[in-house]
Amino acid sequence: MLRTVKPRNARSKRALVAREPKEVEDTRTAVFVKGTHTGEILNNAMKELMSLKRPNAIAFSKKNAVRPFEDPSPLEFWAGKNDASLFVVGQSTKKRPDGLTFVRTFDGKVLDMCELGVDKFVSMAEFKTPKSTPGHRPLMHFASELFDTHPRFIQVKSLLLDFFGSEVIDGIHLAGIEHVISVSLAPTPSTLNNATQAIPGLSDESSDDTKNLPKIHIRTYTLRLLSSGTRVPRVELAPMGPSLDLSLRRHRPPDPEMWKAAMRRPKLKKQDIEKGLGKKKKNLDTDEMGDLRGRVHVGKQDLDKLQTRKMKGLKRGPVESGSSDEEDEEGQKKSKRPKAS
Amino acid sequence: MDVSGILASQASKYKSIAVEKDVPLEVDVGSLSATDLNPIEEEGYKIDLEEGLQNTARDGVQALISALFQLPTQSTADGPLAMLPPPKTLLPRAKPLPKPKPPTKWERFAAAKGIQKTKKDKKVWDEVRQEWVNRWGMRGKNKEKEEQWITEVRANADIDHDPVKAARDERKARVAKNEKQQVQNLGRAAGGTRSDRKQEIVKTLASSRISTASMGKFDKKLDGEKKLRGVKRKFDPTEEPGESEKKKSLALISKIDREGPSKQSRHNHAGKSDDVLNVRKAVRIASKGKGGVALGRELGGGNRPNVRGGRGGNSKRGGKR
Repeated sequence: MLRTVKPRNARSKRALVAREPKEVEDTRTAVFVKGTHTGEILNNAMKELMSLKRPNAIAFSKKNAVRPFEDPSPLEFWAGKNDASLFVVGQSTKKRPDGLTFVRTFDGKVLDMCELGVDKFVSMAEFKTPKSTPGHRPLMHFASELFDTHPRFIQVKSLLLDFFGSEVIDGIHLAGIEHVISVSLAPTPSTLNNATQAIPGLSDESSDDTKNLPKIHIRTYTLRLLSSGTRVPRVELAPMGPSLDLSLRRHRPPDPEMWKAAMRRPKLKKQDIEKGLGKKKKNLDTDEMGDLRGRVHVGKQDLDKLQTRKMKGLKRGPVESGSSDEEDEEGQKKSKRPKAS
Repeated sequence: MDVSGILASQASKYKSIAVEKDVPLEVDVGSLSATDLNPIEEEGYKIDLEEGLQNTARDGVQALISALFQLPTQSTADGPLAMLPPPKTLLPRAKPLPKPKPPTKWERFAAAKGIQKTKKDKKVWDEVRQEWVNRWGMRGKNKEKEEQWITEVRANADIDHDPVKAARDERKARVAKNEKQQVQNLGRAAGGTRSDRKQEIVKTLASSRISTASMGKFDKKLDGEKKLRGVKRKFDPTEEPGESEKKKSLALISKIDREGPSKQSRHNHAGKSDDVLNVRKAVRIASKGKGGVALGRELGGGNRPNVRGGRGGNSKRGGKR
């Protein structure tokens, strides 16, 4: 029998219930962990990424001897302690200077990891422009065809999308959209184009060889909505910072079994299905008064068989040469007979 | 009248909001993201990086904002909300889907018997007080007998019989029984067999008995408490007389040869079966403790006087009341 922790008072009970798995999940909390050595660049980069992620972010201010790729157990421990499912580990070594490792967990176990090297970092303070309000949901923008084709970049896109906008919301106040996080890549090198298209078996190797992979540029802009004469405004951007130039390094793809478990969706409720989620009921919708309206689909009408006005002149003549026509006529007569009787 | 000139001049005041790309942008309004699948141009990238990035970002954001402004809105206290469709890009969950609560013993029984759950109101009508009172809790209806100022007592009751205390004890016993059942349900939900749980209790007891400073030497002993013993290893002698060795081997062979499961394993199997009805208990109650054979004789035998006798007993009991 498993030992169950029984809450001793109502407050701790509420806290435990809040941590239990839910059908619709809360925003992921990210923990920012400093490794044994982090330089100034990494410190600032993590601080500013955290300011974008706030209020769902926790900073570990002390140094931790943590190597996610060698031993992820401390991360799994912290995930349970802090009820967090995202980690950003900063670690700078001689072999891998200024490395940021993005780690995602599922059920307290590491799901996947991706290490990104910071090549260039420009702080928010260096742009003398208005900043976004903390806690506002950013728009996400990805630019490159590799986000749809290359496994490494598909993972990066999924990670970043999860990092900044994982919460499913059903409505947004349009005036509250203040900033956009744009992730684009350097031009795709020709070697990558050929390798992925010509020899699919080699695509794994090419994904391991990170030198050929293009750089990632993360830019943050604030939005200005200008009137355009129509309902839809024209968008102008102003750089807000931070901006990062990153290069891909090591990664750990998700375990297929675990990924399958993590992608499992809850069964949709009846009212949600009626609203239009999941399998949609065809030809049914609700009008503004809340009444259910159905559309009846009538099969396509065959206009050739349409009975028009009968006129003597349009009648087919009785005398026509050719045996086949006669047979046809006989057939028609036969079919007409029962109707007449 | 030619208005094209006016239109053109009006249009020139504003910059265009149309986004033209070779590959149309993938806009996922539900997750507020846009993906531009056009390959990045080498020249623009090399000449002015920041400018190029900002331009592609602007185009993407323009497409996303256009899609957002065309969504149906709903007015709220804070202003109009654009209603978002569910996201198209699926992201992994952080925790597994919540498991349904395992049914309690009563819930399983009720499901097997088809008993519908009826919701009881928390308040009940009190005829005497002419008001709605709590079914339980503060001034609850279940404490009626304890709180009334006069209680009927049987003539042959004990001298020290306290009707208030009796009623209170009965109520407290019901509460205790319910709590016990709750604990049992929790244990059943946690899994594990009865023998596992028993073994765990024995282990806990053993470790708690030696968890004092004197290793349990000067602890108060209860009556009939056995001395704590460690597990002694037992070995068969290395040399055995031929007779007993032969016996053992034959016993083993006959066990293999036997058809069907042994009585012991059958019994175990019956115990493990997922029946919500405890058949033995049901027979015991139905036959009033006389056993299944007696019950069968009583019902099927058609022994008239016997049945009559039973009825007579019932009527007698009725008379006592």
